[in-house]
Amino acid sequence: MIKNKKTRDSARKNQRFLIPPINLLPRNRSTPDSARLSLPLLPRNRSAQEEMVGFVVIVVIVSIALLILLGFLLRSSGKSAVESFEIENFIQSVMQYTTDCEDYTEFLSVQSLITACDEGGTCLNGKDSCEVLNETITGLIEKGWNVNEQSAVRGYKFNIMIEEDEGFLPLLSLQKGNETRNYKGAFQDFAKKGIDYEVSLNIYYD
Amino acid sequence: MVRAITKKAQLKIQQMTFMLVAVTFLFILVGVFFLSIKLFNLRKTATILEEENAMLLVSKLANSPEFSCGNSFGSKSNCVDFDKLMVLRERMSEYSEFWGVAKIEVRKVYPDEGNILCNEETYPDCGIIRILDRKVNAGPATSNFVSLCRKEVGEKMIYDKCELARLLVSSEVKG
Repeated sequence: MIKNKKTRDSARKNQRFLIPPINLLPRNRSTPDSARLSLPLLPRNRSAQEEMVGFVVIVVIVSIALLILLGFLLRSSGKSAVESFEIENFIQSVMQYTTDCEDYTEFLSVQSLITACDEGGTCLNGKDSCEVLNETITGLIEKGWNVNEQSAVRGYKFNIMIEEDEGFLPLLSLQKGNETRNYKGAFQDFAKKGIDYEVSLNIYYD
Repeated sequence: MVRAITKKAQLKIQQMTFMLVAVTFLFILVGVFFLSIKLFNLRKTATILEEENAMLLVSKLANSPEFSCGNSFGSKSNCVDFDKLMVLRERMSEYSEFWGVAKIEVRKVYPDEGNILCNEETYPDCGIIRILDRKVNAGPATSNFVSLCRKEVGEKMIYDKCELARLLVSSEVKG
């Protein structure tokens, strides 16, 4: 009697909270039941979805961390053009080198020869100043940096630029060997008669 | 029923632990990779700084009053006076301890004069000026480019003749 009352009470309680009678559905695996399919998602499916969301969140976090790392690495490797004290000194010494080109007062230094070449001047012996400049600088670089397949220096790039209204224009460009990713460079600028000149040298290593 | 739920929860906790361990391991791996790159860069920077210091020693030497051109050739930096070197070469016994280095040498780079040692007979058409050579254990030489300048007597005038040279310095290795 007491037991019957208890079961009646629980049935009433179930009715109040509208719990779907899942356990009462027939267990037929071979044929899909229309009543079973129309039910809201089962707790098992929901847990699978949660797992998938968790996995996606982890993948996103790891991807962001890797992207940040990659950004750091790329930013640090961007500074490949290392300023070289040795090349800086080389350019300075080259600028002071006394060439074979003579004018009425003295033998010109490379720096004076650059301006003479820009003005289209000739040496006292009749040689073109640009030709002498080219020969002298080639000789200086070839002797200063042993550029060949056997040495650590694989190539060089030398430029003399003049500042014009349209920007820097090349006066002399010399290049030899291969351009590698491992290189050092330096530049020096000077002004003469109101014109700005920029001399730069990049040395490419093995 | 309660037992099954507990088992499922345990499984879930185990799954999560595995995942956390895997993610932590991945982050540790990435961290180690990042640290190794940083360490490599640090070593590279140290080597560059060491090289720069050695170069600075050479530059300091080139710009010292005993070597530098001063104002004799206009205002030139990294310029070494050939005539001063020739005089200094002869009086090196007085300077042997002065710079605290084992070897000082100047080698002409351009024009190439070969391995002709500079003395009264060969000056100025020589390739090597041996200034100091202490009989001690010398380390590897550090060098830098300098202008080697002298006064040259031409047909019509006396002019400044500057050539390209390398100043080589070797420090003393102790022990």
